[in-house]
Amino acid sequence: MSAALAPQAYAAALAGFDRMSVQRLGVLLRNHRPEHAYAIAVGDEPPPATSVIRHLFDADATIPVAWRASARARSPEAVWQRCCELGLEVTVIGDPAHPLLCANDPLPAPVLFSKGDRSLLGGRRVAMVGTRNATGAGRHVARTFGRQLAEAGVHVVSGLARGIDGHAHRGVLEVPVSEQCGRPVAVVASGLDVIYPREHRDLWGQVGDHGLLLSEHPPGSAPLAYRFPLRNRLVASLSEMVIVVESRERGGSLITANAAAERGVPVMAVPGHVANRAALGTNELLRDGAAPALDVGDILTALHLDHTRSATVLCDSRVLPRPDDESVYAVCAEQPRTIGDVAQACNQPLLDVAMSLARLEQAGWLAQTAGWFEIVGSPPRWH
Amino acid sequence: MIANVASATVLGVTGQPVTVEVHVGSGLPGFQMVGLPDVACREARDRVRAAFLCSELVWPSARRITVNLAPSGVKKSGAGLDLAIAVGMLVANEVVDPECILGMVFIGEVGLDGSLRALPGVAPMVACRPDLIAVVPTGSWHEAAVVRTDEVRCASSLREVVHALTGGRWPERPLEPILDLRVPPPDLADVRGQVLARKGLEIAAAGGHHFLLVGPPGSGKTMLARRLIGLLPPLDAATSLEATMVHSAAGVRRGQFGVVTDPPFEAPHHSSSMVSLIGGGSQQLRPGLISLAHGGVLFLDELGEFSPTVLDALRQPLEEGSIHVARANISAVLPARFLLAAATNPCPCGGGAPGACECDDTARMRYLRRLSGPLLDRFDLRIGVQRTEVDDLIAVGGGEPTVIVRERVLVARERAIARCGLLNGALRPGLLDQFAPVDAGGTALLRHELENGRLTGRGLHRVRKVARTIADLDGDHDVVGAQHIALALQLRVRLRASTRRDAA
Repeated sequence: MSAALAPQAYAAALAGFDRMSVQRLGVLLRNHRPEHAYAIAVGDEPPPATSVIRHLFDADATIPVAWRASARARSPEAVWQRCCELGLEVTVIGDPAHPLLCANDPLPAPVLFSKGDRSLLGGRRVAMVGTRNATGAGRHVARTFGRQLAEAGVHVVSGLARGIDGHAHRGVLEVPVSEQCGRPVAVVASGLDVIYPREHRDLWGQVGDHGLLLSEHPPGSAPLAYRFPLRNRLVASLSEMVIVVESRERGGSLITANAAAERGVPVMAVPGHVANRAALGTNELLRDGAAPALDVGDILTALHLDHTRSATVLCDSRVLPRPDDESVYAVCAEQPRTIGDVAQACNQPLLDVAMSLARLEQAGWLAQTAGWFEIVGSPPRWH
Repeated sequence: MIANVASATVLGVTGQPVTVEVHVGSGLPGFQMVGLPDVACREARDRVRAAFLCSELVWPSARRITVNLAPSGVKKSGAGLDLAIAVGMLVANEVVDPECILGMVFIGEVGLDGSLRALPGVAPMVACRPDLIAVVPTGSWHEAAVVRTDEVRCASSLREVVHALTGGRWPERPLEPILDLRVPPPDLADVRGQVLARKGLEIAAAGGHHFLLVGPPGSGKTMLARRLIGLLPPLDAATSLEATMVHSAAGVRRGQFGVVTDPPFEAPHHSSSMVSLIGGGSQQLRPGLISLAHGGVLFLDELGEFSPTVLDALRQPLEEGSIHVARANISAVLPARFLLAAATNPCPCGGGAPGACECDDTARMRYLRRLSGPLLDRFDLRIGVQRTEVDDLIAVGGGEPTVIVRERVLVARERAIARCGLLNGALRPGLLDQFAPVDAGGTALLRHELENGRLTGRGLHRVRKVARTIADLDGDHDVVGAQHIALALQLRVRLRASTRRDAA
């Protein structure tokens, strides 16, 4: 062991061990200094007689074997070098630099890898999560809320997943960088050099540059399925409030909502149409008592932030639809429709309906996904 | 004695003149056939001998018989030379005067009892001897008559042939059928709901546009595609002849007596091999399904399940309207001008309204990647089909019947032909400005789509062609209007997974 190696290096290496869990890592690092914990884990030092680790080793002899194998496969030096290459900061539970929010959690994060500005965790933070497979309307909401929260100076915590998560952050990043604006905070389930999903490479970079990227896993860790619920609990514990934009009946975002409820973090949900499968989970949350988030004003009010509703919300720059397009808009407002549905429901010829839809889409009142039209944003105020 | 009889064989879909030489002379008794006959052809010996005996004709069993099929270097296939060999034997035996068979070509398969059987390929074989009077089996008369009505004789047995060649009369040609036994194509009235897809079919039929139906399983994609046939006009004389030739050569009987007058519909299964679709085969060049669909519709259901090599092979025929198949010893150009219709699911789960689909973007991308890009580019129309609403299924009475839609289709086709001599689907991009000018509103719509990256340069041409057809169906418009462009854009479902842009 080289004497020059920082203590965090040992914690970082421990976090990447096979068969290591948040609980086991927590026990090791809360009771021992990192280098000491490492020595115990790899068998260089015997665990103290009273330690839970001793019981663990006694109960399952394969664990020390697996840990020793992991230590041989990847040394703390190697892990530390990789962290330095990537410019990551590593904080360990007990450090003054370790976020208190994580340390005081029911299931604390023993080690955190971060890239970016950690001071963001001292600001106002709202989590925005939702389904990966969102509707066009859901994506629009996530993006709009993200932008408006950032404008109001609220940081947006999310998971950098496809769909709602990604769009929330894209919305945040639309706001020009300034001292007051909100920034993106992302908690991911893989190592910070394993970009997942890959199409978010650009977003990932931007969040690292302008916001904060967090992970519990050392560089090189794969986005394994079991890591996502753990990631979700971190999202909940780092936020003052969780907004669920769209969620299916059993979605990862409901895990975040549950984790938030366990931690006393308020949950808000964006209501959806009852027939929209992508909104079943959020509507269920509303029935269970989550507060509805109809616009960003609802969120800001819940955060006790000063705002003027009319200034941020009611400014709609879209050109009002023509009166003869009203019936087409009304039909699409009920639920997503195909052009055939609209023609039947309005009893108008296809050519006219196609023209109305084209005008509404062009003006931004409707969005089209694979032949389905859904309304975007709030309905126009005709009268 | 020696005899020369004119006959023919089939190579690909074209006839090849063959002269059958029969020599009956002294020597070791036996029957020799030379000149590259295939097995079916070689077995003519046994059929002709039995037919002679059953027809009470004399078979010179004590003499040496040599049959040569000239030109000797070309492979002959099938039993079509039986009749010519039999006639050659009759001449060589001095039953028939050689003068009597001058100017005649004999095509037909002989049964053991002396009957003459219909056989594949009669139409091209007759066509390759345009200067001669054709003698064919009665069952093949209609097929031969598509090529030449007056100079075709038919007989149903060897005895009748002998009778006619020895001074008697040829049998009467078979009667025209009184009943039309063809099954009418399925009617559009059976389709419930599906407003957009119906319109799409109408446009495809009116403009000759290749189209792709995109929709979940059970939404009626196949049902819709089958109804396209009823909307198309009957084949013109030239195409009907070509189609009949192909069907005749392939031995596929369609229409009445093998004469193809209605546009054919071919729907190969997605496991079909390249040779079965394109044509080929090592022994004999057999036309593929794309040639059988000549003048009609080739429907590929579950497009993504077809092997990519098979789909890529369709590109040449789609461009040129014909396919050049070459093998080691034969090569042929087969006609293959068809309207390509295809169907696919939008994603592994079948899709549906936004929010209903279970697949994430990656799964959707992976699924769509199986569709070859260059082939997708050939589709002018990409029609989204959705499952029919329960109300529509229960409702009494269907939609517009085929007869009414077909009227509009025929009028629109006439308009297009009168304007530029082609259907709109065949318009080259260079001709669009001349024949399909777009008004200001339409241009604005196209510009919007292009600027948003939802339309490519190639897509623009397709949309304009389709809009031209929509305008033709709508009335007598010289300029394509915004509403026509708007509908054409709707008939081009975006097949890529949802993009970031869709949100804003």
